[in-house]
Amino acid sequence: MNEDERKILTLRFVVVSLVFLGLGGIEGVMMRGRVDNLDLPLLGLDPQHFYAMLTAHPFVLIYGFAYMAVMGAFYFLVPFVLGRDIYSKRMANATFLLMIVGVMTIWTTSFLTHYAPLYTLYWPLPVAVATAGWNPVSILPFGVGMILIFAAVLAFFFNMFATIFLPLRPATSSQPKPAFVAKELLVTAFNVDKLRAKIRGVPNYASKVFAFPIFVVGVFRGCVDTTINAVIMGGVGVLLSIYGVSYLLPSMALSPSLIDPLVYKNVFWWGLDMIADGNVLMFTAAVWYLIVPLVLNRKLFGENVVRSVILADLLVSMGVWGHHMMADTPQPSGLLVEGQIVTWGELVTMGLTMFAVLMTLWLARPVKYTAPLKYVLVSIMGYAIGGTAGVIQANYAVNRYFHNTQWIVGIHAHVQLLIGLGMTIFAVIYALFPMLTGKHLSERLADVQLILWTVGGLVMGLGMGLAGVQGMLRRMLYINGLGPFQPYMNVALVGAIILASGYAVFLANIIRTVGFKALISIFYMPHKPSVTVQTVAETSSKA
Amino acid sequence: MLIQYIFEIFYLVLIAVIISFTVLFYIFSRKAPKKRSNELKQPIDTDVEHGMQRNEKNWLYFLLAVVLLGNLVTLSPLIPSANYGLWTQSPPVMTITIQVEGYHFIMPQQPIVIPIGKVVEFVVVSHDVTYGFGVFRKDGTMVFQMQVLPEPYQNTLKWVFDQSGFYDVRSTEYSGPQNPFMYVANAIEVEG
Repeated sequence: MNEDERKILTLRFVVVSLVFLGLGGIEGVMMRGRVDNLDLPLLGLDPQHFYAMLTAHPFVLIYGFAYMAVMGAFYFLVPFVLGRDIYSKRMANATFLLMIVGVMTIWTTSFLTHYAPLYTLYWPLPVAVATAGWNPVSILPFGVGMILIFAAVLAFFFNMFATIFLPLRPATSSQPKPAFVAKELLVTAFNVDKLRAKIRGVPNYASKVFAFPIFVVGVFRGCVDTTINAVIMGGVGVLLSIYGVSYLLPSMALSPSLIDPLVYKNVFWWGLDMIADGNVLMFTAAVWYLIVPLVLNRKLFGENVVRSVILADLLVSMGVWGHHMMADTPQPSGLLVEGQIVTWGELVTMGLTMFAVLMTLWLARPVKYTAPLKYVLVSIMGYAIGGTAGVIQANYAVNRYFHNTQWIVGIHAHVQLLIGLGMTIFAVIYALFPMLTGKHLSERLADVQLILWTVGGLVMGLGMGLAGVQGMLRRMLYINGLGPFQPYMNVALVGAIILASGYAVFLANIIRTVGFKALISIFYMPHKPSVTVQTVAETSSKA
Repeated sequence: MLIQYIFEIFYLVLIAVIISFTVLFYIFSRKAPKKRSNELKQPIDTDVEHGMQRNEKNWLYFLLAVVLLGNLVTLSPLIPSANYGLWTQSPPVMTITIQVEGYHFIMPQQPIVIPIGKVVEFVVVSHDVTYGFGVFRKDGTMVFQMQVLPEPYQNTLKWVFDQSGFYDVRSTEYSGPQNPFMYVANAIEVEG
């Protein structure tokens, strides 16, 4: 795969991810209207339809938007940083198609059959045909959709690992041998090189292989977590498919009691929470570690400490799932306390990460803020606001009052995802866009988008979260009226509309810069997009 | 004051600090420093920093102190939910067993009459899917909730009601599209 092909592939991922963001956003606004009990066309969803939409919503946004954007960015950035090509072009293209088909299969199944086990998939709800009234035909395609998504995720990570470790095809003599690269990556990831340099008294040790060792280690580390996530969630997809097939043959229908609900829930959350650590926190941190030093043209503050933080986060992520189980009283109390303490450990790892990025910025004063840096700064703010909301309720005591309220989904999840992760993704797009197309997006429109998106996300998140303090539940339709929660939901709806307008500004910025026709052309012109392709070297030298 | 409101006020102050910090950081980091620090004079392409710098160490100690303090407070008997769940040793004066099946709470009586200020135990058993069991005041605020895992598990919780009056019960965990209808008004009456 040559550089132009990688650029086109990345642009395809980005455009499709933005389409999914739009689709998920429309669903979000519709659901906000329904929760608000607005009697308007398209918003009068019946509970079946509402919960089917609520099921598809996170799949569309997490996998359709966030994962696809991350995949697209890394298919360009990792080869760029390593100075080598993607290992498999075929696998990269397959990832793109599998993700789209997988997400659309889940969306279509939920839309057509109103199958609505939610993303939590608590056993035995996904297979409780008789109790929940699911159409038995819906389970199999939903499970297959999950398998396709996680097969794509695994293929992507294999391609990343292989790009880092394996020789290119055909091999060139100048590149380091894969065993050497693998050894260097592990040595760098676990800080062994720093330790060795200290013992030997080497004053200025630098990584032998990677131009941006922290970024590569961050991507590697994030890939470990998200691979675990993909194996567990893909396994759930296989489980649903097996049950789905058995339900098509009534005489062979499997009993849901074959699976223990508590063991399942522990395994499920252990795997699912890896998204939060791998895709959300570590990939975000890796991107900050790349973009900020690159744009400022200076070294990351405390690089050796940051690597230790990444290592610490690896350990923390393995034991953090317990905060999802605080309200499950059959859970052993030792696991509850362990989950609480380890979860608070993320405050330390993320706190040190933010400190390193902010110090890098501070030491570079006077900073000339371009769009990527502004978005990174606001992203840090989003993680600080959303993350602390999560930590406040991720303990045995407070969870008793806040679990399953709008606090969790509003202030914690949506603020962290929309402002924290979303701003990081936008920062990458703003940084990569000139490299990919040779054209710069409007800084003024970027500012307008930043304000609208941030204000919208905060207003919506706070509206929801403060309703949660009043006792309003998430995933709940208050059929007989919202009562005291009504003002909060009105505020949240206003926030959602402001947020949507931020998205519209972003789309307008892209379309006015490259043109709608050029944007479409990347899907049918495999090698020469209508937009100008500029070499990375040229852009880098200008920077 | 409800425990939720204490955390709400704490959090609102916290996010005000975070937003203010972000704005001030943006403003001041755009200005040139009056005196260039040692770090700025150092070459940017060599790894000259070893170990943690003093300000980073202070930040780490601060974070560790927050973690320690946060865990001590939330695992201590200071907060009623932790007190009832982790520290209360006295046996309950009454045990209330509630069955859940087919999106219905099956109460032993209605309302369930509970004495004020005494330890009571709720045992909730689901015969099909995972539900939630939440008790709410009449103004909608939550008293407590727990998950209701299906059999073979029993879901138990000790609590002490400190205000008399009627309380509602809802399923606090999504269990299917019929979940919003799992609402029992005046399910509990606390006397005394």
